[in-house]
Amino acid sequence: MPTKIFFFIIPFLYPYYSFGQPNILGNDSTKNKLEEVIITGTKTERVLSSLPLNASIIKKEEIEKTNATRLSDIINEELGLITVSDFGGAEGIQMQGLDSEYTLILIDNQPLVGRLAGTLDLNRISVGNVKQIEIVRGPSSSLYGNNAFAGVVNIITEEPKPGFKAEVIGSYETHNTFDKNANISYRKNNFYSSMFFNSFSSNGYDLVEGDGLNTVNKFRNNTLQIKLRKDISEKLNIKINARYFAQLIDNIAPNNLTGETFTAEDNISLIINHNSDKFKTDFEIYYTSYFGDEFLNDDLGNRFSESFYDQILVKPEIKTVYKVDMQKEFVFGMGYKYETLNRTFFDRKPKQNSPFIYFQYDFYPIEKINLIFGGRFDKFKEYKSQFSPKLSGIFEINNNESIKFSAGYGYKTPDFRQLYFNFSNSSVGYSVIGYNVVENVLNQLIEEGQIANIIVPIEEFQDSLSPENSFGLNIGYDIEVNEQVGISTNIFRNSAKNLIDYRVIANKNNGQNVFSYYNVNNVSTFGFDFKTKFKADNYFDFSIGYQLLYAFDMEARKAFENGEIFARLTPTSPAFRLNKSDYFGLYNRSRHMGIFKINYNDLEKKFSANIRLRYRSKYGLFDSNSNNYLDKYDTFVKGHITANLSLNKKINSKTMISGGIENMFNYLDAENISSLSGRIYYLRIKHNLN
Amino acid sequence: MKTIKFLILSIMLISFYNCEDDGPNLQDIQSVTVEDLHAPQEGGQGQPISGQFTKFDFETGSETNSETDWDIAFRGTSIIVNGGISLGTNDEPERTGDAGVYIFNGTMAEMVVVDTSLITQDSSEGYAIASGSGNGWYTYTGPPTYLISPTPGKILVFRTRDGKYAKMEILSYYLGAPENPDAFSDPSRYYTFNYAYQPNEGVTNFE
Repeated sequence: MPTKIFFFIIPFLYPYYSFGQPNILGNDSTKNKLEEVIITGTKTERVLSSLPLNASIIKKEEIEKTNATRLSDIINEELGLITVSDFGGAEGIQMQGLDSEYTLILIDNQPLVGRLAGTLDLNRISVGNVKQIEIVRGPSSSLYGNNAFAGVVNIITEEPKPGFKAEVIGSYETHNTFDKNANISYRKNNFYSSMFFNSFSSNGYDLVEGDGLNTVNKFRNNTLQIKLRKDISEKLNIKINARYFAQLIDNIAPNNLTGETFTAEDNISLIINHNSDKFKTDFEIYYTSYFGDEFLNDDLGNRFSESFYDQILVKPEIKTVYKVDMQKEFVFGMGYKYETLNRTFFDRKPKQNSPFIYFQYDFYPIEKINLIFGGRFDKFKEYKSQFSPKLSGIFEINNNESIKFSAGYGYKTPDFRQLYFNFSNSSVGYSVIGYNVVENVLNQLIEEGQIANIIVPIEEFQDSLSPENSFGLNIGYDIEVNEQVGISTNIFRNSAKNLIDYRVIANKNNGQNVFSYYNVNNVSTFGFDFKTKFKADNYFDFSIGYQLLYAFDMEARKAFENGEIFARLTPTSPAFRLNKSDYFGLYNRSRHMGIFKINYNDLEKKFSANIRLRYRSKYGLFDSNSNNYLDKYDTFVKGHITANLSLNKKINSKTMISGGIENMFNYLDAENISSLSGRIYYLRIKHNLN
Repeated sequence: MKTIKFLILSIMLISFYNCEDDGPNLQDIQSVTVEDLHAPQEGGQGQPISGQFTKFDFETGSETNSETDWDIAFRGTSIIVNGGISLGTNDEPERTGDAGVYIFNGTMAEMVVVDTSLITQDSSEGYAIASGSGNGWYTYTGPPTYLISPTPGKILVFRTRDGKYAKMEILSYYLGAPENPDAFSDPSRYYTFNYAYQPNEGVTNFE
């Protein structure tokens, strides 16, 4: 089924490949089937199965049959990805054991901004018009630069279809959650257009009574996306993609404080595409802004607190693909990023200008081997400029077996908060200062007589804070055992260096500390993934996935090895010494993860059902025994299984009715897992208007 | 069950060592547990800190009001020694003795011989036991529990005002040394600690 979608769409979308897939590099025309195509891995269309990267695609069909509404719903059902919440409640992706701030999120190949505390909230993204979600694991800064440290998630939205098409989807769930979608598309001759509208609202829920807070506040948001395209000639077309997202959250806080959080996001891109026999050139200008404003009032209506966040990114980029022949393809690109942020508690309004250039060479040195190497250079003023290389390769042993590897460099520049923050907590009295403004702010505090001792000399802040970086390696083996069974395995290792943490740089006279940021942590994550699909008969198919993960702070590991860490069996019993095997690793990492899916599909009765089970082994959220490390004597969040059920029935050629239960086993851990609210029941109707 | 066994074992070990090393002219090492020593303070959280320190004498194993016959004193999370110079905070007692301290990283049992070269005294720059989370004897957990927890593996090794030695492990900062303290409901600034006191002047050995 899914392959037919591509067969149908691709020839229309990419006139250059107007003869369909056989023209795509890496397509083995001897295989008598059409395969899934992915763009994220190389910035060119590639057949997924022959791409030498650890990549996967979540297809529209998959999203539809699970009745997912937000990106976070579907990400949680993908092997090796879990969503984790930061302290602001934003839900991000943990990939191969690396934190959510290290995964780049794209919509239609363009990056999203608005990471208030490092995490990009996946709940911002509706999946109501998504064609597919492409996931590349492993550092990908060689094409994408900043943030593509752990990997890239690219949300590709639906393109306009010929003629007039319209559909509406509505669903209602527990907690008074409504999801409403409208997709309209019109295409005639050389003009293409589509519009998507989504409205999502919920009353939220409260897992912990009596703390004056809601676990999830009442909210509502709207998304509008418009896509336009005009083919000027066979070789030239112009596209405009625009998306607008706005959300309002009703805040409540202890002591009768109430308020609102408003956020608005714009993404606009203009793309001019020129194709000839050998060259395919895109010129694009992308603009995005993310605005947030939050306030709390007391019960008399007086302003208690207010903060804002206003980020803008503008990025012109030009990219040319030069196809020498069916065995060789070059990609060249260059561009410029302009970024600015205006935010409460900032010492200034920082700006960043960074030009970049990249190249990639994708070729078949011999028939069964495909190699891709490439690199990207990003020039920075505030910190060391970055060159990010990557090399990957695949050896197709035969039609059914292949071995692949990829090795690459990824980096993340210090964010503006780590550079320019100037915050003093008014009730407790501590201060946090961004690295680049330490000299100014600290001197000011000294003049005001607030500083008792300086612990880290100001001279140490002369050099710049270094970008965090990572070297990642993935080695995989895939086999199609027979028509029914396919297995895919991968081992991975990420060595991350210069991770940024904060430390005390001075003591204040009030007994509190001044903090700033520094490069310190070296983190290593490694493990392996195993995925298998089994088609039992015409009705049933199964898939099983497992991930083993070790995620360590290397200095912490050394401290355990050296016997420098102690613990107590109970909070008040004498301490004893721990050894290396007692170190559990980083917070919020599960050693084992599993996904098990059963699909039932009856084409005749137009009925389908599926159950998805997800297992996460125990993990620690914080140090509970005061030695600053997560060791096996700490308190852990229990390992658990969650299960989701979906039922879909097509009642006529235009209408589909769906229903289901999320968190069927009603697993709850109010203290530790805020995203599980108990069983959720839903009903959903999808109707084609034409 | 495991905990109780462990406690009994440690007590047995300490007594055992004491028997072995009893010389004819030496007094026994005293192993003492002090419960809920109250160390109130005023101010803090950005305000100037004040209030009388709670003074403690290792020899008698009890709190004292004496101006001179004290070894260490507590106020909030601060612990001072009767030796050196005042940091100059409000209500800080004058140092009249020669007490000093250092922090040994290890377990109580592992701390056998005092390394006198490491001993420091309070000064006008700061206390010998550094204040702040992770610097001295405690770790402040921050949100969501906001607890002051004695950092495991931090043994305070004291020279007393009159040249004797003691080693101390702080076990709790909350009244009644609850197994699972709650910073919002359990009263704080109540110290529970174990210490071993070597009553023989100049003897640095705890075996």
